[in-house]
Amino acid sequence: MTKRVDSTSTGTVDRRKFLKGAAAGAAAGAGAIVSDPGSAQQSAPSSRPAVTRPTEAAGRADFVPPEPSVDARFIRHPGSDYMVDVLKTLDFDYVAVNPGSAFEGLHESIINHGGNRKPEILTVLHEEAGAAIAHGYAKAAGKPMMTLMHGTVGLLHASMGLFQAWCDRVPVFAIVGHPRNPTSVVNRPHSAQDMGSIVRDFMKMDDEPTNLDVFANIAMRAYTIGRTPPMGPTLLVVDSELQEEPIPDPSKLTIPKLSMPSIPQGDSAAVREAARLLVAAERPLIRTGKLARTSAGWDRIIELAELLQAPVDVGGYASWQDFPSWHALYGSGGPDYRPDVILGLELNDMTASVRGVRATGGKTISICSEYLSQGHNIHDFGNYSEVDVPIAADGEATLPSLIEEIRKQSTGNAARLRPARGERIAAAHKTIRENEIDAARYGWNSSPISVPRMVAELGRQIQNDDWAIVSGHQFTGQWQRRLLNHDKFYRYNGDCGGFGIGYDTPASVGGALAHREHGRLPIAIVGDGDFNFVGAGALWTAAHHKIPLLLIVHNNRAYHAEVMLVQRTAARRGRGNDMVDIGNVIRDPAPDYAKIAQGYGLYAEGPIQDPAALAPALERALARVRAGEPALLDVISQPR
Amino acid sequence: MNRALRVSIACATVAAGAALTLSLAAQQQGQVVGDAARGKPLFADTFNCYACHGFDAQSGERRLVPMNYTQEGFITFVQNSPLPNMPPFPDASPQQLADIYAYIRTITADAPALGDLPLLEDILERKTRAAAE
Repeated sequence: MTKRVDSTSTGTVDRRKFLKGAAAGAAAGAGAIVSDPGSAQQSAPSSRPAVTRPTEAAGRADFVPPEPSVDARFIRHPGSDYMVDVLKTLDFDYVAVNPGSAFEGLHESIINHGGNRKPEILTVLHEEAGAAIAHGYAKAAGKPMMTLMHGTVGLLHASMGLFQAWCDRVPVFAIVGHPRNPTSVVNRPHSAQDMGSIVRDFMKMDDEPTNLDVFANIAMRAYTIGRTPPMGPTLLVVDSELQEEPIPDPSKLTIPKLSMPSIPQGDSAAVREAARLLVAAERPLIRTGKLARTSAGWDRIIELAELLQAPVDVGGYASWQDFPSWHALYGSGGPDYRPDVILGLELNDMTASVRGVRATGGKTISICSEYLSQGHNIHDFGNYSEVDVPIAADGEATLPSLIEEIRKQSTGNAARLRPARGERIAAAHKTIRENEIDAARYGWNSSPISVPRMVAELGRQIQNDDWAIVSGHQFTGQWQRRLLNHDKFYRYNGDCGGFGIGYDTPASVGGALAHREHGRLPIAIVGDGDFNFVGAGALWTAAHHKIPLLLIVHNNRAYHAEVMLVQRTAARRGRGNDMVDIGNVIRDPAPDYAKIAQGYGLYAEGPIQDPAALAPALERALARVRAGEPALLDVISQPR
Repeated sequence: MNRALRVSIACATVAAGAALTLSLAAQQQGQVVGDAARGKPLFADTFNCYACHGFDAQSGERRLVPMNYTQEGFITFVQNSPLPNMPPFPDASPQQLADIYAYIRTITADAPALGDLPLLEDILERKTRAAAE
């Protein structure tokens, strides 16, 4: 701290001298331009005297970055220093930054006032990548990352990443710099009447503080709201001048104490009724969406399933892991299991469950924080469902009281039926897992490499590591859950949320960053289509910040799901199918992802087409990752 | 003639008629002789079958190897697929589909026995152990 003050004092003199010289030059330059507007006015049509047409010279001058004015002065206590002091109380480890002049004050304060620690700047090459990194990080770390963006343009770039975080109900603490009083044609388009409106449809809140006191207030509010279920991204719009202006009297500014509200739990009467239905059920089924955020939540859902001897259906790849994938109760109980009570936990659409059990007189229970959502423009909140016991509360937070109530009510016959039920479910699970392994044999030696072969080869090499899949499962179907034992809550980081392409690679970098401090081995399997969005630049971030991550490009050289969709449309219209690959394939030329990764400084191999070459390539790449580097393998794979 | 007998005769007549219709269709389609060499590019390029079923016709969503359909059944199904995840191909000619069928029939199943795949055997064993814990 002392050193910083000393260097500042020295710098004061030098900087003042520099500014004086610069100001003199600016004044001379300004003088050369002054006469132009007048001459332009003279040549303007007399019928429109009030409108001054700028001359070319004046226009050019507008592009010149603003020079310091003659009274420019050293700012000892800029507002952005205080902002950093406030942000430091919110326990951010990292802030994703793609630089922009609208937040240069904050940028400088983070580095020099904050010492580039908590938060540390994570340099990203695209704002969407920054938002996706923050998204993936938040799920793996259990706390939000900050991301800084330039006015309008940076926010627009980031908007897709923020949208995905919104749909995934994940907090991202976003700040956009705002040149509210633009000084040139360059930053005029970066200013807006209502900056937050650009992304308001998919943010939990946004606000623009007018002074530093309000900044602190809004920062605390954004943080607490973002982390309260249903969670989501929040946005602070921060005026560039507020960052730059000196604090008149620092002693008058205080930093509010963070006051995090407790997470909402289910009403006790409703929980009691839910327990009654579950205890009385002959064939209960638990369905989860985005439930187990923490190790405690993971333990509770296992406890609940084993207590009831009820199967747990975690749904598709969009769900978080929620339950061990090799557990005997994993799944929906087998083809003959007809549930009479379905408990939905953080499942935002119970329509199918209601329809499924209602015909046979069954009941449904939903414990979901989505009921607390205030509603937004995006239709991602699921259908209205006629649930018998709807509970507006967080699923994970309500599990302890639900389990306690079930234990209380589990007397007599109800509890005696459970072991036999568990045995029947376990028997069905055995058949299912044998069929799954049987199916994995097909195409074992094929080239391109089959997806189960790719996953199984990976599994063999990481079975003794504390691994974590940080990409979505979207492009590998259920093979990862079938062939890799997802036995910890962090084994799978979930998918993108909004079913949009471009999330996987940068979000994997964010997830990997969160796992780094725990010494875990992060793995990502990303589609080539997804990688091509903003993924390549995210590799550089991983290399630059030494984030260990094995990234496997599941390279089928196309957007294959769309091939079928266009086929279906062509068939419906009777127009033949021989043209449908147009616009859907990524060939001629086929991108070389290993070369791209090498160009960004990563260890990379590929394209790997021979299945026998995969295991040695994995071994070499994993050695690099275990040593703390990112590495990429480009695997030419079967489409699905 | 009692009611049960009348129903039985009626059912038998309908069944016989349906069988005759299918048989005639089969005879007509049976005249088409598939050519595997022509079928390969139809599978991979023209109709993009590989996109769902895999380049090897067996590592995709629905395995086509071993092919259990008759040629006639295959042609009828592909032209009129009722499945949500399988588009119908009404414009594909019986000859083209017979060629694809012939090509698929030339592909042998690449599915080593589980005993020859220690990697998968090990996964099954560990899965079984995990389920029992």
